[in-house]
Amino acid sequence: MSLIKNATITIAKKKPLGRGYYRFTVGPFPKVSVIKPGQFIHLKIPDTNIYFRRAFSVYDINPKTDTIEIIFKVFGRGTALLAKLRDGDVVDILGPLGNGFTLPRKDDTAVMVAGGIGMPPIYFLAKHLIEKGYNPDKISYFYGGNTKDDLVDIARIRKTGVKLFPATLDGSSGFKGLVTEAIMNKIDLDAKNIRFFACGPEGMLKAVDDLARGHNIPGQLSLEAPMPCGIGVCLGCIRPLREGGYTRVCREGPVYNIGEVIL
Amino acid sequence: MTPNLAIDIAGVKFKNPILTASGTCGYGEELADIFPLKTLGGIVTKTITLQPRDGHRPPRTAETASGMLNAIGLANVGVDKYITDKLPFFDKLDLVLVVNVAGWKIGDYVELCARLTDHPRVDMIELNFSCPNVELGMELAGNAELAEKAVREVKKVCTKPIIAKLSPNVTDVPSIAKACEAGGADAVSLINTLVGMAVDIESWRPRLTNNTGGLSGPCIKPVALAKVFQVSKAVKIPIIGVGGISTYADVVEFMLCGASAVQVGTALFVEPDAPVKIIKGLNKYLKDHKLTSVTDLIGKVRVW
Repeated sequence: MSLIKNATITIAKKKPLGRGYYRFTVGPFPKVSVIKPGQFIHLKIPDTNIYFRRAFSVYDINPKTDTIEIIFKVFGRGTALLAKLRDGDVVDILGPLGNGFTLPRKDDTAVMVAGGIGMPPIYFLAKHLIEKGYNPDKISYFYGGNTKDDLVDIARIRKTGVKLFPATLDGSSGFKGLVTEAIMNKIDLDAKNIRFFACGPEGMLKAVDDLARGHNIPGQLSLEAPMPCGIGVCLGCIRPLREGGYTRVCREGPVYNIGEVIL
Repeated sequence: MTPNLAIDIAGVKFKNPILTASGTCGYGEELADIFPLKTLGGIVTKTITLQPRDGHRPPRTAETASGMLNAIGLANVGVDKYITDKLPFFDKLDLVLVVNVAGWKIGDYVELCARLTDHPRVDMIELNFSCPNVELGMELAGNAELAEKAVREVKKVCTKPIIAKLSPNVTDVPSIAKACEAGGADAVSLINTLVGMAVDIESWRPRLTNNTGGLSGPCIKPVALAKVFQVSKAVKIPIIGVGGISTYADVVEFMLCGASAVQVGTALFVEPDAPVKIIKGLNKYLKDHKLTSVTDLIGKVRVW
């Protein structure tokens, strides 16, 4: 893995996506093609009041321009300051870090579940698979949010050719209800060779984990945890394992098999 | 001329005075992806205990102004697994290896040191007398008699040089340092974290499941510096400065105040290659100031 150490990276393009969502294109980043869907970067907010780096899943890579993209939503002080940066500003990035998804086999049906701001690694995974020759018809892509404004960059997802199923709690786009309810509605969970890939809020991941285990469906979840170091030395981002003990989300994760972590 | 960065503590030769602090560099192998470990003068492992420990429930770290709180709870693989699984990684690495240990009674420290002393790759042992998140840590930290006894008992079974790591959470750090010296400690390292707390005002819950934790990072550097300065007046054994060190300038300050070497800790979480930058900066500083050896800095602060 080529690790970029505290490289100063220029923000090439900042794109507001509405409702506090932003897409940043950053680079140049050497060998972006080695970055796997599910991996993350650790970004230093250029402000002395923010001490820790912030972790962001990679949303997309562009080997032609050596750039990567991230999508984030303004939640706290760190992301608020990040949103104020402009094209040409320089940020300090460490990465790629963590482990990516295990790709499904050709005859598997991939059920991808993206919830809210957990969408970047799921899009990257879908795009990556299709580029590798995976049939987009075999990807059922569920994208859930509170309202239609939470479903960002949807045209780009649609362009990949996946079977896209939006779901919103208020019914403003697609299925009205939880994304897991949409899955039960649209997918025959007793069919063979289904694999789940999910990233999103804690409640959604737990629901997906329960659903998958209930139907003996394998798959993977990408977890989030506040990460002081991102490289496995601070032991701050731990989660409990079903087999006992803890796992470091930054080092052993952030991608885990269904059922591996107690959610 | 290239300045000489080498130092000697209790007969152990360090190629430079920069070590990584316990609990901030894992067992060492985690940092090897980031920079060549042999760049370092030495590494101090995370605390090893007799039995494996999972540590406290999450959340066990919290961000603060210019630093962080932690209450990891001494999560580690235990001494047996440390020796079989983690120690061999250092066989071919040219840097000083300091193993940090902690126990719940003095006998635990004695047993841990007895287990590690015959291992040729272990260069020194650091006694964690100061973990704010476990009970005996707090007791040993503040009780000079107990600290002296612990060092004395350990020295009976251990031929490796012993470093006692001291807490700032006590009334009189120099008196504890003196007690450790009297017990036979070869060096002292200070400071460990300061007891601190943070509360989420929505849930009214402390941000750490341990309720309180240890504060570290740049915010504690002035405290650490003052303690090193005070202890340097009280003991003759070498002092290893720890607390908020992030830059070469911090290192210069600690050495001027009496430290023979330093440990870089929390800075590694933000800038994992901070030691590389620090060593470079220190070299340049010595050159710019026409100093031939880093030892020329030790204790040379010009007090008013």
